[in-house]
Amino acid sequence: MYSQLFHIFRNTPLGRETFLQSLYFCKQIDATPVVYIPEFIKFLMYFDNDVVQVDLDNSYLTDPATAEEHARELMDSAHLKPNFFTPKNFTASTLPDIPTNFEFMCCPRSISDLSSKIGLGYIGPRVRRIVTSARFPVLITSPVYKPWKSIAVFFGGSANALNALKLGLRIARQTGMPLDIFTQAGNRSREDYEAVIRDHHLEDELERFQQRWIIFDSGKFETNLYAVPHDALVIMGAYGHGLIRDLIFGSKMEDIQSTVSNNLLIVGPNYTAGI
Amino acid sequence: MRSPISWRPPATWHFFRSDDRLLLIVAGAIVGICSGVAAVALNQSLIAVLGYLRPYRAYWWAFVLPAIGAALSSLFLNKIMREGAGHGVPEVIYSVSRYGGLMRFRSSFSRLISSCLTIGSGGSAGPEAPIVMSGSAIGSNIARLLGLNDRQRVTLVGCGAAGAISAIFNAPIAGLIFAMEIILGEWAASNLIPIAIAAVAGTEISHLLQGKQIPFSHHKFNIGAVDIAACIGLAVFTALASIMLTRAIRTIHHQADGIQLPSWLKAAGGGCAVGLIGLYLPMVLGEGYHAIREMMEGRFTPGIGLVFLAVLAKIIATALTLGSGGSGGIFAPCLVIGSFAGLTYHRALVFLWPGVDWVQEGCFVLLGMAGLVSGVLQAPLTGIFLIVEITGGYDVILPLIIVSAISTTMCYYMEPASFYLKDLVEKGQLMRPGTDARVLADLEVHELLETDCIAVHTNMLLRDFVDIVKQSRRNLFPVEDHAGQFQGMIYMDDIRPYLFDPLMYDTVLVGQLMNPRVDTVSPDDDVVEVLERMDAEGLFNMPVVANHRFRGMISKSTLLDQYRKELMVQTYHLNR
Repeated sequence: MYSQLFHIFRNTPLGRETFLQSLYFCKQIDATPVVYIPEFIKFLMYFDNDVVQVDLDNSYLTDPATAEEHARELMDSAHLKPNFFTPKNFTASTLPDIPTNFEFMCCPRSISDLSSKIGLGYIGPRVRRIVTSARFPVLITSPVYKPWKSIAVFFGGSANALNALKLGLRIARQTGMPLDIFTQAGNRSREDYEAVIRDHHLEDELERFQQRWIIFDSGKFETNLYAVPHDALVIMGAYGHGLIRDLIFGSKMEDIQSTVSNNLLIVGPNYTAGI
Repeated sequence: MRSPISWRPPATWHFFRSDDRLLLIVAGAIVGICSGVAAVALNQSLIAVLGYLRPYRAYWWAFVLPAIGAALSSLFLNKIMREGAGHGVPEVIYSVSRYGGLMRFRSSFSRLISSCLTIGSGGSAGPEAPIVMSGSAIGSNIARLLGLNDRQRVTLVGCGAAGAISAIFNAPIAGLIFAMEIILGEWAASNLIPIAIAAVAGTEISHLLQGKQIPFSHHKFNIGAVDIAACIGLAVFTALASIMLTRAIRTIHHQADGIQLPSWLKAAGGGCAVGLIGLYLPMVLGEGYHAIREMMEGRFTPGIGLVFLAVLAKIIATALTLGSGGSGGIFAPCLVIGSFAGLTYHRALVFLWPGVDWVQEGCFVLLGMAGLVSGVLQAPLTGIFLIVEITGGYDVILPLIIVSAISTTMCYYMEPASFYLKDLVEKGQLMRPGTDARVLADLEVHELLETDCIAVHTNMLLRDFVDIVKQSRRNLFPVEDHAGQFQGMIYMDDIRPYLFDPLMYDTVLVGQLMNPRVDTVSPDDDVVEVLERMDAEGLFNMPVVANHRFRGMISKSTLLDQYRKELMVQTYHLNR
């Protein structure tokens, strides 16, 4: 299957780390990186039922003269064909429209604030809206380049978590990497979760790729996260319970991203995974 | 587990699933009320700012007031709201045309504040375009909240525009026609009722909050045959003024774009120039409705030379304000320039033929407004009904139609696209529903992929290939190398002689038969470009290749099939 990952290139050392992570992801799943070197500090993404304006910080416009050369060097060293995106449509003369028909998009934890804020414990509002509206999963990279060796899926039985699991299986199949499943048991038993898997005919696929299924029966969720391998690509669903509930009770995804420093692949409520 | 707190958009409620007309009517009324409130808020804010600044206009330094207003407006839009500047209406049309009316929430209030700063300080612009943008953005965001689809959202965007125009001019029919003729660009029955409801709701809100008032008082005119004949000349004059205004704004806008200065400084420069003009011709400042009232009532005393100068000065002031980056619309300046043009023309007629019993000059003022609005917007119905409603009289309808029709037609010959549409047309971004460009723009290469082709290898013997031909329903075969990289195509017509020669079966390889020089398509390519390439080279099929790998075929027949389906989707509501 032909897939593309959209990456907004930042011509800084931090941007290089993010870009290396995107390239590694593309290499693993045989995706084509589509690189956007911004000329303007803002752009719009028109989704099915929302339009998101992303206001970049000035670091994205650093040294435009060398940006393409740097990006090209990194893609050449990864043996990936350079593929640069140039906006065709503009809502206003300084406001380009970015298509939303990619299969993946890479975001740092915050796309719109200064890099000093990009760390654990903070996820920008724009990234949140992109995850909520997009049909594609969003790759939230670790702060520094960190190749992943396995796949860890957080599975809580919801429709969104099921999509995350399907995506995890797809990546496991493409990369041949082992798949671990992590579940924080609430008031449901292992059999309940297995029934969900059976209902969606995933048991055969799971048997082929699953290495471990760890169900945390006790302990604080944040503490249990220590069991997640540090070099795993973490895949999970987000905002599947609706905005109001997430606003009141908080988002499990945001709990995880503020605790682990792994690369995260976030599946929003509008994503539809195929096995 | 189902969340105890959840929100299901009304569009998904069972009650509205079978027929969305009631939903759209209710939503249209809500949008009309909200846009009406926004319009009244802007109107009252403008009155307050103009009133506050009036004492300062007597000072010699008053020319800096428009500069300060324009600079603050630009800073507010670019630094605080972070919105790309623009007049408003083209952005709404663009959003309707390309993205099913999706608009940012911030657009529902940003232009209200910025235009209040620009116009309130004396900038030559009108509040209509900003309020249209706000109303449309309100409609778009209410549609998002209700979980409506693209077609329904576009209807609510139209409702927002209609509610806004209706409220600010107290003109519901003009609001309805403006939304249909300019914003949506189509006359679908399914849109008509919600937009009409929104227009009425906007007007009623305006009545409730500001009282029943028409912007310009009506006077009885005794129009004779000679006046109607003279309308033709007025139409030509207003058409020329319309073209001048359109070109002046675009010229200054392009000049300003080329200047390497911060946008707020450019806006301030434009505002300062307007302020200087205003020192000598104060009637060009602000929205200018006061001057129109005086002209319609016959109280505007300056002579023909000064009135003609006012036409030119208002055109330049408007171009400076909007072209340099000030925030505001072109509607009110059109009315003012049109009224000056009408007055100039009437006084010229009286001067040349003093013995003729001409109608009062207020009538030509009114006709001039219609001529300018129709010419600049190339929307004759909007021009006619707006003037009829804001002046409260239908007795001038015949000359209004003549002036609007001729002015629109003349402007069309000189500038085929209206002021609102010109940039969009030049960039190829105007895609009205159901048009060829729009249908093709909504199709993507990956939707048209035919994946039933069997790939063969370069080192495959012709004998093996013949077996594959027997299984295949296609008469073309992509050829790949051992690494799976695309090498070329085999077309049955090219190799038919070999297929019937068994001696060749074990001696010829597929790699020797293939055509390695085939034009390929990338999945990212624009369908319009793909179709143009097919037409230019007389092709019916093209292979789609990405990352050197064959992904499928794209054919004209599949494209036509999808085109038809897409057209049916886009025009479904026209038949309801």
